[in-house]
Amino acid sequence: MAANMYRVGDCVYFETSSTSPYQIRRIEELNKTASGNVEAKVMCFYRRRDLPNPLIQLADKHQLAQSEDSPVAMKLKKICLKTPIGEEQAAQAVLDPALVAMEEESTELPGTDGLAPKQRHQAKHRELFLSRHVETLPATHIRGKCTVTLLNETESLLSYLNKDDAFFYCLVFDPSQKTLLADKGEIRVGSRYQTEVTNLLKEGEEEPRNSEDLETLVWTPEHGLTDRQIDQFLVVSRSVGTFARALDCSSSVKQPSLHMSAAAASRDITLFHAMDTLHKSGYSIEAALSSLVPASGPVLCRDEMEEWSASEANLFEEALDKYGKDFADIRQDFLPWKTLKNLVEYYYMWKTTDRYVQQKRVKAVEAESKLKQVYIPNYNKPNPALLASGAGCAGGKAAVLNGGTNATNGTPAPLPHLCASCQVTNSNQWYAWGPQHLQYRLCGSCWQYWKKYGGLKTAGVFGESEAEAVKGARDGDETALSASHRPHRCTVLNCAKEFKLRAHLARHVATAHGAGEGARPVMKTRAAFYLRASPFTRLARRLARALRRPRHYARNPFAPINLHQVKHDCTLAMAGAGAGAGAAGAGSAGAARARGPVGAVAARLAAAHGSAAPRAQDWLALTPRDRMPAPHHVAFPKPPKAPDGSLMYERVASRAEIEARRNEPAPAPPLKRRAYDDFNGLDSAGAGAGAGREAGAPPPAKRPNKHPAPMQRPSREQYAAMCARAQATGQPLPAHVFTHVNGKPTNLTGRGGRRHVISWMDAPDDLYFRATDIAKAGRRTLSSGELRRGARAPWRPMRGAGGAAGGAAGGALPAAAGKAAAGAPPLQLVILD
Amino acid sequence: MAMQPHSKKRVCYYYDSDIGNYYYGQGHPMKPHRIRMTHNLLLNYGLYRKMEIYRPHKATADEMTKFHSDDYIRFLRSIRPDNMTEYNKQMQRFNVGEDCPVFDGLYEFCQLSAGGSVAAAVKLNKQASEICINWGGGLHHAKKSEASGFCYVNDIVLGILELLKYHQRVLYIDIDVHHGDGVEEAFYTTDRVMTVSFHKYGEYFPGTGDLRDIGAGKGKYYAVNIPLRDGMDDESYESIFVPIISKVMETFQPSAVVLQCGADSLTGDRLGCFNLTVRGHGRCVELVKRFGLPFLLVGGGGYTIRNVSRCWTYETSVALGVEIANELPYNDYFEYFGPDFKLHISPSNMSNQNTPEYLEKIKNRLFENLRMLPHAPGVQVQAIPEDAVNDESEDEDKIDKDERLPQSEKDKRITGEGELSDSEDEGEGARRDNRSYRAPQRKRPRLDKDLAQHKDDANSEDTKDDVKSVSNMEEPKKDVPPNA
Repeated sequence: MAANMYRVGDCVYFETSSTSPYQIRRIEELNKTASGNVEAKVMCFYRRRDLPNPLIQLADKHQLAQSEDSPVAMKLKKICLKTPIGEEQAAQAVLDPALVAMEEESTELPGTDGLAPKQRHQAKHRELFLSRHVETLPATHIRGKCTVTLLNETESLLSYLNKDDAFFYCLVFDPSQKTLLADKGEIRVGSRYQTEVTNLLKEGEEEPRNSEDLETLVWTPEHGLTDRQIDQFLVVSRSVGTFARALDCSSSVKQPSLHMSAAAASRDITLFHAMDTLHKSGYSIEAALSSLVPASGPVLCRDEMEEWSASEANLFEEALDKYGKDFADIRQDFLPWKTLKNLVEYYYMWKTTDRYVQQKRVKAVEAESKLKQVYIPNYNKPNPALLASGAGCAGGKAAVLNGGTNATNGTPAPLPHLCASCQVTNSNQWYAWGPQHLQYRLCGSCWQYWKKYGGLKTAGVFGESEAEAVKGARDGDETALSASHRPHRCTVLNCAKEFKLRAHLARHVATAHGAGEGARPVMKTRAAFYLRASPFTRLARRLARALRRPRHYARNPFAPINLHQVKHDCTLAMAGAGAGAGAAGAGSAGAARARGPVGAVAARLAAAHGSAAPRAQDWLALTPRDRMPAPHHVAFPKPPKAPDGSLMYERVASRAEIEARRNEPAPAPPLKRRAYDDFNGLDSAGAGAGAGREAGAPPPAKRPNKHPAPMQRPSREQYAAMCARAQATGQPLPAHVFTHVNGKPTNLTGRGGRRHVISWMDAPDDLYFRATDIAKAGRRTLSSGELRRGARAPWRPMRGAGGAAGGAAGGALPAAAGKAAAGAPPLQLVILD
Repeated sequence: MAMQPHSKKRVCYYYDSDIGNYYYGQGHPMKPHRIRMTHNLLLNYGLYRKMEIYRPHKATADEMTKFHSDDYIRFLRSIRPDNMTEYNKQMQRFNVGEDCPVFDGLYEFCQLSAGGSVAAAVKLNKQASEICINWGGGLHHAKKSEASGFCYVNDIVLGILELLKYHQRVLYIDIDVHHGDGVEEAFYTTDRVMTVSFHKYGEYFPGTGDLRDIGAGKGKYYAVNIPLRDGMDDESYESIFVPIISKVMETFQPSAVVLQCGADSLTGDRLGCFNLTVRGHGRCVELVKRFGLPFLLVGGGGYTIRNVSRCWTYETSVALGVEIANELPYNDYFEYFGPDFKLHISPSNMSNQNTPEYLEKIKNRLFENLRMLPHAPGVQVQAIPEDAVNDESEDEDKIDKDERLPQSEKDKRITGEGELSDSEDEGEGARRDNRSYRAPQRKRPRLDKDLAQHKDDANSEDTKDDVKSVSNMEEPKKDVPPNA
């Protein structure tokens, strides 16, 4: 019962959408509406996933700063972590070089020392960001209580993980300004803030001031009177007061009864006066008594309550009605003959009267619409995401998934029976999760976890970009995700530091290596990817009618493929109904006619047509440049033009640099191994490759193309040039140009649809294979079949990889993005769309 | 330090009958009227007759500028509601206007509140009383040149400055729900005043009071902050208050205590978020009183005024060592205390977000800090050489005052923890006395931010240098006896 009572001040879960996680709110007010419903005015807490990316980076940094008690931490406390929509701006937001330095030291999420990766992952779900944003929600959407506390550095995050529904926060998020603010003030140090501490007095030195100047004694307990005597005296003084009121004309009008006079004479002012009198008479009862009844008649002490006439009281009430408790105005307009002190004193006494109590009652009725608590029963209706048992598990239905760019993420499509989070196969309830066509499902407990904490229990499924994956999924579009989450590595010799943001790298290069200012902007091709053909893809290629035009699709990589149809076809075909379909497949794809070599065919054709002399064909003539068809998309836009009209290509390492690199020991492997670094066992079977390296000039593993940010985006002129070109040719601007509208970097992520675009700078490094003599020799030892297989599956170690031929087949392959090689489940269809 | 049994003490109480009539403004939660309500309760409970009652003088501008800056006090003295418009710029500078409005009699109000605390401190210095109470004081947010959080003049700092004339070390404890930032800031770099504040921390005024704020320069480890969360109840409050205060008393060994009894830590406070009852709040007074040190009690926050007056009435009775009935006596404001008209209040059923584990962790962290104090047992005092050997004052005199100080000299001035350490010849007993027999220190140079930040490095180097000079000085001494 008590669990379902929600009070003002409680932190609660609100369900505003059945599929997204609960929102966490703090109840500020509960109001009953005219219709009888209860509305809650709530203050918003934001989850990590609700924050723009750059702010999350800042939040991490702040946490880092907190974990050490460094001067940097102190600085961070002071600055407002302002930011930014674009990453570049994010970087600029933190201008302090000290911060940069600090950040270079570690890019690990702090405060998580000693936590297992899984716990670290889950801890992120427990972090909230306080905001001052207030909204009103119907109280019926409350789905339970939680606690949100300011993280104290003595606590380990574990203590939150071990408690259900426990969240913490460190920073305050301003959703309108997109800023993070440390919720902390500071004690300032300096002579303007501290006091000068008085010295101890020297011996013999005395306090110059007399107590008499500082204070007036009003009463002392050293009076020699008993409590009883004092009480008696008080009674006497009250009776004197009653008598005085009887004698006083104005009083007798106001207090017609003896009781009222006695009550008036019993007010505290009479008692205080009596005590003063006793003190002044040296605590002699007799002396005090006689001063109570001087020659002028019995002493009459009246406070404001009594002093005021009925009409004044009425005026006062009227004035209160009109001005509220603005006593200065009341005095000026209604009761100018009273002092402000009179008014204040009267006001506080008036509050004890019946008239005030009546007013208060009226107010109380008005306030009834404000509730202190509300009872919300447990919510039992099934969530629409709940899958009817067995529905989604229709046997054998393969999940045919995963578009090309998404493949870079290496997201393995889960098996139909697996929970997308914990891989459990048994659960009482299953919930559909993520974008519909992906058909992910979560088990009951993971679903609860998702709703409460806004993430999945394990990080593994979606890698580091899980939150974003979900974000993208929520918007129902598949986006390229992983690229922006790869650490950016410094390419300068002997450095190889990694950064979360490219801009940080840029700053690092600028500050640490002094490069930067003059560096040319770097142009790089768009994100490279490769298609990994699993047996199922190949199968699908044959089975699905939609895919029977491979050449068409190769020519039109932008043309969409109807995945549903492909899936449908495959299911049909694979469900065994497929004897016929299989035959058809075999018919179309299987029987290749032996046509002989091309030369023979040409000769045959020529003979058939009877034209021996080859003449110039129309189709052989070059199309004039202006009549060249323009593609709808420019996949590999030309590099921007420099102001002098030359194309700006990326800088190629000078010979000296290459020499130096060759002598440099292999850089420490990054924490997370990137799949595309590993070609045909090139790295792992290092012996052979190593031999090759020693013998000849090794291939430059990477072009030194990571260069400082400030120049990375097109300059105003370059941008103008691009626009002009686009306008002249009538083709749309390449997507990456949009990210720099008006020369100001914007980020598509920040705008409406949350589309995640990999900018060309984020694409992985291209990779060349430089064939040395040894490599060539090795290649010759391989059979052509092996070579071809190696080319198709660059991640697979060559059978002969131990030998000098290791990695030969990897040559000239473009670098592949993503981690597809890692742990893909065996049954998987990957289709490029 | 020995605890003394609950005992009767000479109690002085400061009150001016005008104080209740100052009015901060419509809708302002701070109501000086609560002090009058307390006073009337005290009279009708019969506690009034058991104390020395004083009407304090109005503190002069001279007295207030012992801490505050001259122009700030001048501003407070001249600003009135009717001339506010002429002071726009200054009002911003001194943060007067919003939380700290300009109201009629503002300056007088400050004078009375400060006058009470200063007079009380002088009283304690003269040993004319063991416990002094000024419910009109306790305005702990006021800064050197800035009003803050309904406070304009920091009577507590002024009182402590007064106490420092006779007491080598003064302890300040703050049980207001808000952090006692004004007092902490004022004494942030001194080791003669330790400030201990128990307060709600996190999304709460004034935003300071982090566990890691421990003081700076010489005052490092002399600021103790206990950040708490919503819903502190009597039991958990005592569970953290008792060990911390005992440890502080043991390590800091103050010779006078100032307790700020802000009553906004009570349950149901208009601005507070704790769940203390009058009894739990008063328990702190009782505990501090048991240490038997000269004791100044001041008011502070408290915005549900019926509970504030209940609380301070009860705490006066605790200071006096007198039991009072739960039935409230009739008084002018009796109706305020309905519907039950009882002295004690019951806690609400709000949840306590301070788990025992949380409090335990906070406590342990603070103990670690307190262990850094030079008095603390277990810290090797020998590691720091006696300063007597190294006569700093001589070098200092040679230095041209107008010149920038050489770094070595600056370093010397920063020396923090070591300086207060007792040398071996100073016995344990010496500390008991209120007066320290060390020669009065020269006026401490002002630390500015940079110096404070360099402090750590400077300190370590400094120590090394000292060690060298000590050995240099000692060698000739050793040589002397054979020659003689």
